[in-house]
Amino acid sequence: MIVPCPRCGKETEMTGNPYRPFCSERCQLLDLGNWVTGAYRIAGKEDEDEDGGPPPPREGQK
Amino acid sequence: MSENILPPEEDNVGAPDQEFLPVENYGAEQIRVLEGLEAVRLRPAMYIGSTGVEGLHHLVYEVVDNSVDEALNGYCTRIEVTIHINNSVTVVDNGRGIPTDTYEQTGKSAAEIVLTVLHAGGKFDDGSYKVSGGLHGVGVSVVNALSARMDVQIWRDGKVYELGFERGVPAKEFTQTGTTRRRGTKVTFRPDPQIFETLEFSYDTIAARLRELSFLNKGLEIVLEDLRSDRKETFRYDGGIASFVEYLNTNKNVLHPEPIHFETQRDDVVIEAAMQYNDGYSETVFSFANNINTHEGGSHLSGFRAALTRTVNAYGQKEDLLKDLKENPTGEDIREGLVAVISVKLKNPQFEGQTKTKLGNSEVRGLVEAAVNESLGAFLEQNPSVARRVLTKVVEAARAREAARKARDLTRRKGALETALLPGKLADCQERDPALCEIYIVEGDSAGGSAKQGRDRKFQAILPIRGKILNVEKARFDKMLGNAEIATMISAFGTGIGKEDFDSEKLRYHRIIIMTDADVDGAHIRTLLLTFFYRQMPELMERGHIYIAQPPLYGIRHGKSIRYLKDEQEMEEFLMKRATDGVSVTVEKTGTEYSGEGLIQAVRMMRERSAIWEKLNRRLQHGELLDRLLEAIAGEGGVFDQGFTLHQLFEQKELLSSLCPAIEDIGYDCRILEDEEHGLFSLEAVNHAKGNRVELNREFFSSAEWQRLFELYAGMVPLGKPPLTVRENGNLVSVGSGEELLDYLRKLGRKDLTVQRYKGLGEMNPEQLWETTMNPETRTMLRVTIDDAVQTDAIFTILMGDAVEPRRRFIEDNALNVRNLDI
Repeated sequence: MIVPCPRCGKETEMTGNPYRPFCSERCQLLDLGNWVTGAYRIAGKEDEDEDGGPPPPREGQK
Repeated sequence: MSENILPPEEDNVGAPDQEFLPVENYGAEQIRVLEGLEAVRLRPAMYIGSTGVEGLHHLVYEVVDNSVDEALNGYCTRIEVTIHINNSVTVVDNGRGIPTDTYEQTGKSAAEIVLTVLHAGGKFDDGSYKVSGGLHGVGVSVVNALSARMDVQIWRDGKVYELGFERGVPAKEFTQTGTTRRRGTKVTFRPDPQIFETLEFSYDTIAARLRELSFLNKGLEIVLEDLRSDRKETFRYDGGIASFVEYLNTNKNVLHPEPIHFETQRDDVVIEAAMQYNDGYSETVFSFANNINTHEGGSHLSGFRAALTRTVNAYGQKEDLLKDLKENPTGEDIREGLVAVISVKLKNPQFEGQTKTKLGNSEVRGLVEAAVNESLGAFLEQNPSVARRVLTKVVEAARAREAARKARDLTRRKGALETALLPGKLADCQERDPALCEIYIVEGDSAGGSAKQGRDRKFQAILPIRGKILNVEKARFDKMLGNAEIATMISAFGTGIGKEDFDSEKLRYHRIIIMTDADVDGAHIRTLLLTFFYRQMPELMERGHIYIAQPPLYGIRHGKSIRYLKDEQEMEEFLMKRATDGVSVTVEKTGTEYSGEGLIQAVRMMRERSAIWEKLNRRLQHGELLDRLLEAIAGEGGVFDQGFTLHQLFEQKELLSSLCPAIEDIGYDCRILEDEEHGLFSLEAVNHAKGNRVELNREFFSSAEWQRLFELYAGMVPLGKPPLTVRENGNLVSVGSGEELLDYLRKLGRKDLTVQRYKGLGEMNPEQLWETTMNPETRTMLRVTIDDAVQTDAIFTILMGDAVEPRRRFIEDNALNVRNLDI
């Protein structure tokens, strides 16, 4: 199974790859570092209430 | 050997180099007698390291090194090495030739002394050779002592001399045999089978050393020929050690095309270095002192390293390229992917260490350091693009090191006592067999509380995590997994993390169940968790240990009974089924009656139609326009009704124009445009009052939504023709539109029911949570596969990404789902 390396995007074989789904130990390590330091965040919307209300109405046309 | 192995005479005679140092300076007076050869034959390993294959090859190097010494001092430009079929070796150079004048103290020729007396040779006298290599400095006399036969021919001062030995004992008198115009020395030796365990020379081993020597002595040509196999190679690198570095980087992706290369002289020490980065992670640095490969390093190497670390750091600081790092890059970070060769040539090299391959001259360190600081610093200043590439690589190496350390800190602090130090928030289960254990990862304290009370503590553990932080600057809540959350999970799982520590055999629970609220926040936390497991613990997913809990979104009470429904879809189906039970709908105009399964089917289509209508309306921003277009194309007497296809509509100008009245009626100006490229027409509709402009063309209607909407519209015409009469338990109600019918049925479906929508897990009481979501007898769970995770990762990447457009589109496409969640 071929997947994109989550860090660099390089096509990477999963089977038998000790660093799967990463292409290399380097990419695996840098990703782990991002988790550990809390660098991965999914941005919430501004003024959003705690329960995650509906998105603001869309503006613009078709 | 015949003389024709040498280049033509004119190449050898009167080389301009000779002007530096007159030949006469290297004469008999300079040779000092030190020792005899018997000792060598008695303890050969003391002189050449071993009597095995390595020692055997040292014989060749020793003889070649004598020739290279001539090259070092500028007298020799070409060396030929020939391996004969009987494993004897000939080395010919075009140097000055071994001195032949008579040595006063003994009456013997200088050549005889050089070849028979240990440690005899010009290089032991400072005045003669400026720099000199030579393996162990033992000299060619050792080779003579360990050879069954050695023959030497000398071309010097226009004369030819010959002499020969057997096991170091003269066998052929030193004699002048003739005259010549050429210059140099030819040594042929056959290693003594009484001494060596093996006599077979390896072409590749010799070739490797000769190639190295040719790199280290730029411009020197070394020819190796093996008469046993007819292999022949010529080594000559005018780029010197820069060529060496390029050679070492063959087939690597280099960060900069040309090696960084400099050569300088300080206090009589010639310092040369070449370096080039590739995109790999290993460090390849060779150091040489007087052509000797200093495997153990020494003062020149430490000087080089110190200067490299200092200079690169200084440049990075100055250019503000290190701002993302907590601490400065270390030497190791800076040498990652580095291929470098550092070569020094000095007068009195001191070799130390186990194999005598460590340069001991302490003064060299400072000299090399200063030289590299200066030259490398200047290079970086002058080549900012190369410098930036190198620094980027260095910063990445430093970040990876920091990441590795943090990951270690995270788990090792607690690792030692394992279960004794399980995270405080974890409510563990009593069972110890991992195959029977489950852990619920629950977001939020209140949900965690419900889960703790509702679980079966025998085999179910609960780990509450918090997945949200307030981004103060932007006043919004970002979703993330903090350091503490990650650490808590890893330590609860017991698996460790990272290449060295992760061990799936230590997993303490064979079911890891993600249980999050059924809202946007919950979806984001779930995405984060799945992405983390997929990236850093893929094995758990491959082994099927990861699950997603399916808490219900609705609880429906009817009297004392309660029913749970997992999502909007299920809820709608349930209500519609209940609403249509015993109900029939009649279209008054046609008399068509719908009931039972037929009614459910019709209602389902109406719902789908209305969902798609909503979606397209969000794109078009004008519901009335949408309705008019639908009617004109798919309605009664419309384009389809007349037997035309959508494609024909845009092929025929007249047909397309027929749409205009309906649109003009609601305030649009219409204009037919011609798309010559496709041979089609399009319709431009502008509503100035609304500031709305659309171009209706073939592509506009090609989306799956439009196709399906046309289908549904056509199929629904009967129910689309109000008024409709609803018959229910003898009651008759008339409704004026499809939408009204849906509303009516919805109300009917909810009659006598109390519908509760669970916004969060915390709104369910512990018993409900157990019954709906945690009880193995009644719950449903999704097992996460790697395929699911690959998709989750892609979503995560979009949500995280810098690319605004895909992110915006993703959120828009999913807006419908979000809306449904919040009805």
